Amino acid sequence: MKKVIMKFGGTSVGTGKNIRQVADIVSQYSKDYRITVVVSALAGVTNKLLEVAGQAQKSDETLIKNFTEELLQKHKEAISSAIVNKPLQQEVNGIVEKIIVELEKILTGICYVGELTPKSKDYVVSFGERLSAPIVCGAIQEDNIEARCFTGKDAGIVTDSNFGEANPLMNYTMHLVCEKLGAFLEKGGVPVVTGFIAANQDGVVTTVGRGGSDYTATILGVALEVDEVWIWTDVDGIMTTDPKLVPAAKLLPQLSYQEAAEMAIFGAKAMHPRALGPVSKANIPVRIRNSFQPEKTGTLITKEPVANVKQAVKAVAMIKDLAMLNVNGAAMVGAPGSYTKVFDVLGKNNINVMMISVAASEANISMMIKRSMLSRAISNIETALLEHGGLVSEVTAEDDVVVIAVIGAHMKGSLGLASKIFDIVAKKGINIRMIAQGSSELNISFVVKEKDGVEVVKAIHEEFDLDKT
Amino acid sequence: MYVGEVDMRIILVGYGIVGKGVTTILANKYLEKNTNCRFNPKIVAIADIDGAVINSQGFSSEKLEAFKQKGYPVSADAEFGHKSMSALEVIESVEAEVIVEVTPVNIKTAEPALSHITKAFKSGKHVVTTNKGPLALAMPALTELAEHNNVFLRFSGTVGGGTPMLEFAKRCLVGDKILRLQGILNGTTNYILSEMGQNNMSFQDALTNAQKMGYAEREPTMDIDGFDTACKIVILSNWIMGKKITLRDVDITGIRDVTLEMLKDSVKRNSTIKLIGTVDNNKASVKPVEISWSDPLCVSGVLNAITFRTEYAADQTLIGRGAGGIETASAVLRDLLDIRHKLASKLLS
Repeated sequence: MKKVIMKFGGTSVGTGKNIRQVADIVSQYSKDYRITVVVSALAGVTNKLLEVAGQAQKSDETLIKNFTEELLQKHKEAISSAIVNKPLQQEVNGIVEKIIVELEKILTGICYVGELTPKSKDYVVSFGERLSAPIVCGAIQEDNIEARCFTGKDAGIVTDSNFGEANPLMNYTMHLVCEKLGAFLEKGGVPVVTGFIAANQDGVVTTVGRGGSDYTATILGVALEVDEVWIWTDVDGIMTTDPKLVPAAKLLPQLSYQEAAEMAIFGAKAMHPRALGPVSKANIPVRIRNSFQPEKTGTLITKEPVANVKQAVKAVAMIKDLAMLNVNGAAMVGAPGSYTKVFDVLGKNNINVMMISVAASEANISMMIKRSMLSRAISNIETALLEHGGLVSEVTAEDDVVVIAVIGAHMKGSLGLASKIFDIVAKKGINIRMIAQGSSELNISFVVKEKDGVEVVKAIHEEFDLDKT
Repeated sequence: MYVGEVDMRIILVGYGIVGKGVTTILANKYLEKNTNCRFNPKIVAIADIDGAVINSQGFSSEKLEAFKQKGYPVSADAEFGHKSMSALEVIESVEAEVIVEVTPVNIKTAEPALSHITKAFKSGKHVVTTNKGPLALAMPALTELAEHNNVFLRFSGTVGGGTPMLEFAKRCLVGDKILRLQGILNGTTNYILSEMGQNNMSFQDALTNAQKMGYAEREPTMDIDGFDTACKIVILSNWIMGKKITLRDVDITGIRDVTLEMLKDSVKRNSTIKLIGTVDNNKASVKPVEISWSDPLCVSGVLNAITFRTEYAADQTLIGRGAGGIETASAVLRDLLDIRHKLASKLLS
């Protein structure tokens, strides 16, 4: 029997009705597959937990009570529509109540101490998945399937102690997961594992950070040597572009791991490259599917894209809420280590740089950062390098810009592609502010004014026939 | 004790033949004051299945000898005994640099050794083991966990024992690429096959002989069904070839089905049948294989042999005795010294 991991995202388990649908999907496939389920928290719960944990350290006790009441209500509602059988409903209610009592204690503790460490933050956040998993598990049990709840820790996922962004000890995890889930799976059981959360070697709860529950799914996929990992979400799969911008956007039936990693810039609707790491190494295919339309086949991510689709450009994305920062300084020219100083200032102030462009003259670095970080970036660079170091002579910025990214594995070595892209833009009378292409040639990114962004995306989408695939 | 001597506090877990051998060798080491490697090992605890003896100052060689004379159980000692204390408690609570894990092999669950080793890592202690079980079932996991906790795991007593196969390949063949390794890694089966082939003895008689001579256990499955060889293959494969496999990945056939007829038939081709463990790029296996008398691997009796096929230096064969208790214990000392040297360079870097 083939083995699959089925991961269900926040919207897929967003309401009791949706959870019922999830259970139906699992029970339908359980005849032909050995399934391990990975669940996210109910939509919105994780963010709310983070928010409340942040407020709890400011010592607001009434807020905690209100929040846990509300959380209990939300989960009880989900239970009542996901599970029909009364005794089972009661049982799951009991489990959820107990977990919420624990949460209340933790939050009160944070409130008294007035401090939220990364360690306790991970612990608080873990409650989102700890609450959703028993409900999904109960709903599956209702279809007469032997399902059992496991936290990431119970399932054997062991990470380092880098709270908030923990890295799995992959070999140790593989050993433990086989030991803890293997026998239950063999017997035909369906483990329901909390996504996102794990534990360090001492059993302290950690979260895997970027990549989230998808990452949990691929870690388990590798450990259990499954045939495929299925990521159930609320879209059909990965699209050629954002359908909200271009209604003609089409579903991409197949992508390579590399291409899929590039698509991460599409944001929440794609997979984080970190989550693709384990499966691409083990060569396990990933399928992104829509839990609201399970009949659709979705996007399949494998090592090699299908041979017959030699199309150079696969997708085009527009990334908003960014700003362009230009750092100028004649003193940087030919001075080894000068760029390090610029990026060091940004890194130390927790500012992520998304895209960089420097001409061979070396007198100017252009980079893209989050728009919300722009003022901080300018002030930090000016303070550190303009006033004191003298390395930089001027810092300028534009905050009305967007990045357009053109993506495809077969762009590599494809002659005249850049010329065609820029020709399309030029024909629209639009100026390009900045360009970057790494030597991997999987992605050409450039910057235009925000007002022109949608027009550029539409034009590229059309000219490269992305609406016809 | 002279100035500059480096103390190494050791917890010995398991007090069987190998464990006793370790105490003998270390007790001798205490007396050798002329050693110039500035190494002063001290056994601060011995934990066995039913309790422990603990002395944070380290046991004297006389005391170690006394334990051995008195025999089982060691925890009965009036002065230092802790009757109900588990090995896990000892590992966690007694201060020491290194755990020497020499409990009996278990290839089903690797316990209790696996728990001992992980507990040691988590409490920041280095581990020397002669136990094949944990390595055969979870070697990639254990090497990762050791690295994560910034401690060393050494196990030269698990393969080759007296013959330094692991070190030979790791150190002397460094820079070359080992494409394949092939070996006779179990003395018991080699003795049985040699008796059958050379003296025309039946499998059962050869096995009974081996048991009489102390080469084979009363419960000989581990040897004759190929599991012991397979465990060694897993260790060699992980350590030398960097292939992360466990016992499940090895295709194993023992020697039960090797008949006198097959052996006689092989003689016609100037060959004989040996239980050979092999790892190459694609797979790992243990099975009876016909090999030529002229093959350097073709050794008789309880001897072990291993051939490394390298990319540049062609074939290299090591031949040596399979390990008994004292050979294995000597491998433990080798590992302890290795850790001591590694620690020194780590502290300096």
